[in-house]
Amino acid sequence: MENNTTSNEYVRGTLKTIVLNLLAEHERMYGYEITQEVKERTGGAIALTFGALYPVLHKLEQEGMLITESVEVDGRLRKYYSLTTPGNEAARNKTNDLERFMEAVRLLLAPRNLATE
Amino acid sequence: MKRLQKDRIDLINEYLKSNKLDSELLPEILDHLACEAEERLWDGKPFEQIFTNIKEAADGQILLDLSVDHKNLLAMEKSLNDIVFENRNKLYGAYDLRRGYGQTIQRSVMMGVALFLMIVMFPNLYARLVPDPKPDDIAYIVEANPINIREMLPKLPVQEVEPSPAPKTIRSLPPEVLPDDQVEIENLPPLMEELEKAQPAARTLDGIEDITIIVPPAPETGSAKSAIAEVEVKKEETFLNVEQAPQYQGGVEAMTAFLQKNLRYPSQALRAGIQGRVFVQFTVGSDGKVENATALKRIGFGCDEEAVRVVKLMQSWLPGRQAGVPVRVRFTLPIAFQLN
Repeated sequence: MENNTTSNEYVRGTLKTIVLNLLAEHERMYGYEITQEVKERTGGAIALTFGALYPVLHKLEQEGMLITESVEVDGRLRKYYSLTTPGNEAARNKTNDLERFMEAVRLLLAPRNLATE
Repeated sequence: MKRLQKDRIDLINEYLKSNKLDSELLPEILDHLACEAEERLWDGKPFEQIFTNIKEAADGQILLDLSVDHKNLLAMEKSLNDIVFENRNKLYGAYDLRRGYGQTIQRSVMMGVALFLMIVMFPNLYARLVPDPKPDDIAYIVEANPINIREMLPKLPVQEVEPSPAPKTIRSLPPEVLPDDQVEIENLPPLMEELEKAQPAARTLDGIEDITIIVPPAPETGSAKSAIAEVEVKKEETFLNVEQAPQYQGGVEAMTAFLQKNLRYPSQALRAGIQGRVFVQFTVGSDGKVENATALKRIGFGCDEEAVRVVKLMQSWLPGRQAGVPVRVRFTLPIAFQLN
């Protein structure tokens, strides 16, 4: 539980990028699918709660990054999300930004002798 | 994959509704939780435990946060108008007007600016479209063919003006005073015999003899003035001496005969043996009538009265003339009474 909350702290800032990046890889996804995908690929290190995921999805939709379509599956309405053209652009930019940020964080966290080596 | 039964889905649905989850979010969250439940059913867990886990994961606070987040997101889209008209009749028209206000203002400003620019630039634009003709521009070429007007016009009959007959004149210049040696004998003044037949002029011409040149009267300057002059003429002046004295019609002999015929010797004078001359003064009018006859020098005994009476009988006089115009002339006539 402790581990989970700390990871959530970092996830909050990168969640938008993660979602965009996942959607860029897949044609369309629904909310639960995204959480499962994240959980599987990180081996459970990062667990998205629906309480955090859906507000991000809705915000991206409003910004015009995503479009939605509702499909009835098993008597339930499933809402699929897919990227728009500006969403694709944003996914690339944000992924690049995050990678550069992670490089910088790595340099900061590494021991000094290792960094200067 | 195990399918979740309908009643179990409804159970989750009821749970979400009881926590007042936003109706727009409900299907999505329901699907999410149902997927999760199915996943766990697959793992072989009893539904009751799964449902309890779900309730823990999606407790009231989390669902409330979701609803609030969603509402905030929608509120960003809403404009002030949507908030003002939230519970009012939007079909009334005011809502449309307010919503289209920005667009209307934008459009009207653009139209106004465009119109203003058009008005300001119109003279310039007009000058560009209709350029002033340059002085060396040739607008069109006209070929001028000379037309012989004389052929077109009918020949007018020429009226030959006959030269007016020149009067016969004879050289008669005012004599110049010159020294003796310069006097030319040729330029002698004309003789009287020559002047009878010809008129004096600067040159001697052999023209027609009997022409009296009638000079047209000088044009009168104003008719009003002449009318006034006529009024003045009516106050006839009585002349004493005129160029042409009044004359009895028929001459002195006729007058004498008239007097001898009409005069009667008054009986008083005849008895008293009176004789002498009575001077009768009278005026001969411009119409030849005798007026104002009075005896100037009297001899009495009825002779004066007789003389005046006879003079008044004389009516047919030729009036005296001054400058050719008949005028009144005062005239004195002596009438002699003589006993034989």
